[in-house]
Amino acid sequence: MSSNHKRLSMGGRIDREQPVEFTFDGRKLAGYRGDTLASALLANGVTLVGRSFKYHRPRGIFSAGPEEPNALVTLGSAGRREPNLPATTLELADGMVVESQNRWPSLAFDVQSVNGLLAPFLSAGFYYKTFMGPTRRAWMFYEHFIRKAAGLGRAGTDADPDRYEVRHAFADVAIVGGGPAGLSAARAAAAAGARVALIEQDFLLGGQLLAEPSDSAAASWLKQAEAELEGFETAALMKRTAAFGSYDGNVLGLVEQRDPTDPQPNGETRQTVTMLRARSIVFATGAIERPMVFSNNDRPGVMLASAARTYLNRFAVLPGKKIIVATTNDGAWRTAFDYAAAGAEVTVADLRPVPPAALAAEAAWLGVVVRAATRIVDLNGGHAVRRVTLNGPDGQSEAACDLVCVSGGWSPTVHLTSHLGSKPAYRDDIDGFVPGSFPAGRFGAGAMMGTYATGDAIEDGHRAGTEAASSCGKSASVPAPSKLDLDETATISLREIPSVGRGKAFVDFQMDVTTEDIELAHREGYESVEHLKRYTTLGMGTDQGKTSNFAALAAMATLRRATIPKTGVTTFRPPYTPVAIGALAGRATGHHFKPIRRTPMHDWHMANGAEMLEVGLWMRPYFYPQSGRDVNDAYVAEMRNVRQAAGLMDISTLGKIDVQGPDAAIFLDRIYANGFAKLPVGRARYGVMLRDDGIVFDDGTTTRLAENRFFMTTSTAKAADVLSRLEFLLDTAWPDLRVAVTSVSDEWAAMSVAGPNSRAVLSAAFPALDVSDEALPHMGLLESEWEGRALRILRLSYSGERAYEIYVGATAGEQLWSRLLEAGRAFDLKPYGVEALGALRVEKGHVAGPEIDGRTTLDDLGLGRMAGKRSGFVGDVLRRRPALQAPNRQRLVGLECIEDGKRLRGGAILFLPDEKPYGHGRGRVTSVSFSPERGHYVGLALLAGDVAAEGSEVVAVYPMKDDETVRARIVSPVFLDPQGERLHG
Amino acid sequence: MASSMSSRDFSLSVADCPLIQVEGWDGTLTQFEKSVSASLGTKLPASVGETVRHKGLLIIRVAPRRLWLALDEGTQAPALAVDPDLGCSVPLGEGRVRLKMTGPDIARLLSGCVTVDWHAPAAAPGRAVLTSFHHVSVVFLRTGETACELIVPRSFARSLSDWIADG
Repeated sequence: MSSNHKRLSMGGRIDREQPVEFTFDGRKLAGYRGDTLASALLANGVTLVGRSFKYHRPRGIFSAGPEEPNALVTLGSAGRREPNLPATTLELADGMVVESQNRWPSLAFDVQSVNGLLAPFLSAGFYYKTFMGPTRRAWMFYEHFIRKAAGLGRAGTDADPDRYEVRHAFADVAIVGGGPAGLSAARAAAAAGARVALIEQDFLLGGQLLAEPSDSAAASWLKQAEAELEGFETAALMKRTAAFGSYDGNVLGLVEQRDPTDPQPNGETRQTVTMLRARSIVFATGAIERPMVFSNNDRPGVMLASAARTYLNRFAVLPGKKIIVATTNDGAWRTAFDYAAAGAEVTVADLRPVPPAALAAEAAWLGVVVRAATRIVDLNGGHAVRRVTLNGPDGQSEAACDLVCVSGGWSPTVHLTSHLGSKPAYRDDIDGFVPGSFPAGRFGAGAMMGTYATGDAIEDGHRAGTEAASSCGKSASVPAPSKLDLDETATISLREIPSVGRGKAFVDFQMDVTTEDIELAHREGYESVEHLKRYTTLGMGTDQGKTSNFAALAAMATLRRATIPKTGVTTFRPPYTPVAIGALAGRATGHHFKPIRRTPMHDWHMANGAEMLEVGLWMRPYFYPQSGRDVNDAYVAEMRNVRQAAGLMDISTLGKIDVQGPDAAIFLDRIYANGFAKLPVGRARYGVMLRDDGIVFDDGTTTRLAENRFFMTTSTAKAADVLSRLEFLLDTAWPDLRVAVTSVSDEWAAMSVAGPNSRAVLSAAFPALDVSDEALPHMGLLESEWEGRALRILRLSYSGERAYEIYVGATAGEQLWSRLLEAGRAFDLKPYGVEALGALRVEKGHVAGPEIDGRTTLDDLGLGRMAGKRSGFVGDVLRRRPALQAPNRQRLVGLECIEDGKRLRGGAILFLPDEKPYGHGRGRVTSVSFSPERGHYVGLALLAGDVAAEGSEVVAVYPMKDDETVRARIVSPVFLDPQGERLHG
Repeated sequence: MASSMSSRDFSLSVADCPLIQVEGWDGTLTQFEKSVSASLGTKLPASVGETVRHKGLLIIRVAPRRLWLALDEGTQAPALAVDPDLGCSVPLGEGRVRLKMTGPDIARLLSGCVTVDWHAPAAAPGRAVLTSFHHVSVVFLRTGETACELIVPRSFARSLSDWIADG
């Protein structure tokens, strides 16, 4: 059969001078620029496009927009593969590779269509009732097979080579929808002087006007409106852009598709998510036509009447020549008339007893057969419709056809306006839901407000656009819009009561939900709309039930013998249309996934081959390969060097906070569990902060620089949290305190010189400074300048060795680092990384993040004496709770590995030697290290108090390595120098 | 620190940012502001986001009680003695970096970085906006019709300038 054999030779908005080639399931087909994939498939006579979700029933093209439930396809291949895209929204482009979904081995012959035969057993809730036994884990077994049998398209696994972007945009007035109301609103707002963003998901503006003949008055009006808008410098026309969410603060989430006809696909972003902040928003989102419910209403060849008209007038496609138009309202008659004018044989089956006389007269003039008070009850056909069974005043009859156009009325598109929690309100006169209310700065216009006639919608849009502009102070005089009279009659619908023959009658096509499923849900007590939705999965497909919600609601209302408003309406949530995860991520992938923090010495580490480690956002040296062939060799060598000579560590990542003010000491007394008010100037103190609930929050040292000024350090991980906490307390709990807290983490490069030679290194590096024990005792401060920058030297130790923390202005960090290494060469000073740093602190028994894990108290960590009998600090009251005082709480202990050739592992679960290793055990290993001092692995652990006696044995079981088991002895957590003599060595 | 990139429509350069922060206590703010104003010899910006330029110094009100004094390159820091009963000061120039951007493409590039409306009065030349850039707190400074600066923490500077350059 020739390509495009269903294409008319004239008309439409396609460019016949620009042919386009594409493939569908490997078959080469052709269309034209201006086609959608759906229109091109129809033009080529392709009626079978997909298979349904559960029953694998053949499905065709049902709509002409984003409401499409059936014709979902997979676009592209390899990394560009994107599943579940409605063929109705895909702009046709040369070289497009498209596959159908959810079928095997082929679309025409799908083995799993056997599910249709099993349909009587596959009703709603079937899986949850049937696959729950015989054991508790049985579902886990069945689920794999059920998921393979049902579903949509498959996502690709290759890396996506395309670029995505997230950006921010602003407007005075945002208008969602480029139909007659939206165009009119945009024109009015722009003319009033507002900065306007007009958002349209299609690649053409016009909305339903595009369904009008291309040589009609509507087309002329559209052309003029577009030209007018393009004349406004302040109007941005955002085509190919769908508004997927509406959020607080008048923020709209938009996703824009790249123009697929662009000849350079790699030169432009494929999809852009825009967060548009507007001062006011006009929703002109139109309305979605409702299907009709009858047996086999899902077969290929059944189509919404408005869609059929769009394919005829916009795309010049005549998908059928023998047509049944089934309707409850006037609107579908226009489809009948246009098809008749195009040469098709048309029958209108109107449910209403007496259709309007004017329509009947026009039908007679065009040769359209009219059957009043008539409905379709059944349909015959497999991959394409062949005939329908009609039920009318004269009883049942059959009619042959190759296209069935249905119209059960219209539902205003209220999804976006519902996203912020505003419930839609039912309007009896249109038998549909409109937005319940608009908050300030939001407006509605056109069909989404129930104003269906085009001329009225244009006036309504003008009003909304003017008001929206006025609400943001733009009130210039605006001339009235051009009128457009499409000779439309009222479109009041007669509510359709589903009439079902032998076959299944679908309410939600995408989720395969039938009238029987709704009846079952009702029988089983799932009468609430929200329960109905979850029980049957109605409305939970990628189309969010755009065509099914009202029919389901009406069916449930009938079953409950209740009105529609009393039956309720489901909650619409973002996204209105699916958004690719790649688009949401934008450029935040790969090395841009998160911002990276680099210390002032970063370039030196890189230049000297350091293996780097991500620690939060920071890049830190993990170990230096000069120290050993791998991390295990290197960290032990680096530890030994610190213990025996001197090591240099980049500690710039520590959180640093400047605390100033007359009440600074009082403030610190309140936020630390131990006191700081009496700390002398020039001295530092280790401090621990608690949360309100008495759990340890963070630890660090704070140094008194002056009477009213302190220099606080925090752990690397908690730096931001601590600053935020301090600011919160000053703003809310103690606004009377005159204290300022400022992060100076980036201000200072920080490095630690640790080891018995550390003082000698300092003396060599700073010959003008007195770093003797008298001038700079343990926990002492020395302030000076180096190369014109401020210099602070604090004598503090994390490793248990004599050590100094050196702080210098960040711009001089690398210079001082190099200077120290040069000066320290004679003293065997070598850099060490975070692995050695962690191991050194484990040997010394210092707690860190693995122990301060948000569950431990001061007493758990052996730090209770720090608080002593103090009171009045944050966390003081709740730390005294009985539960936190229980004697059997897990507390900090040390562990020594007592099995040769074995090692302890962080995360291992601790059991008693004679216990069966099952469950959560008696505690857990938090930190481990090989101890060069002890010659075996040592670790810190949190262990239940009743089994934590020193000298006892425990068994550490590591579930991540096949329950690897090792025996350990409980010892003091301080493995090295318990008297602290090395601090002064 | 100094690095740069440029194209026909956009250029980015990175520079140090000499900066002093001063903050007044609640209750004595008026006295504090009088004192700072007298020391600097100029009026202070009245509200958050406003700036005042004076003799190589840009005064930015970054919070109701907090001012940043940003020094032009080569400008001597002002002699500023803040009475501890009125407020305090802390130097921040070592820890901040200026990302200077200019060119006709600037608004488009910036839209992928920060939530700032280039055309709004709040972002007009001479205005400052506290915002975030890829989760990092930054200060946006509009310096001209097609020019702006972002004052960013030094540790993030390379990551953020890479982001801009890839835009």
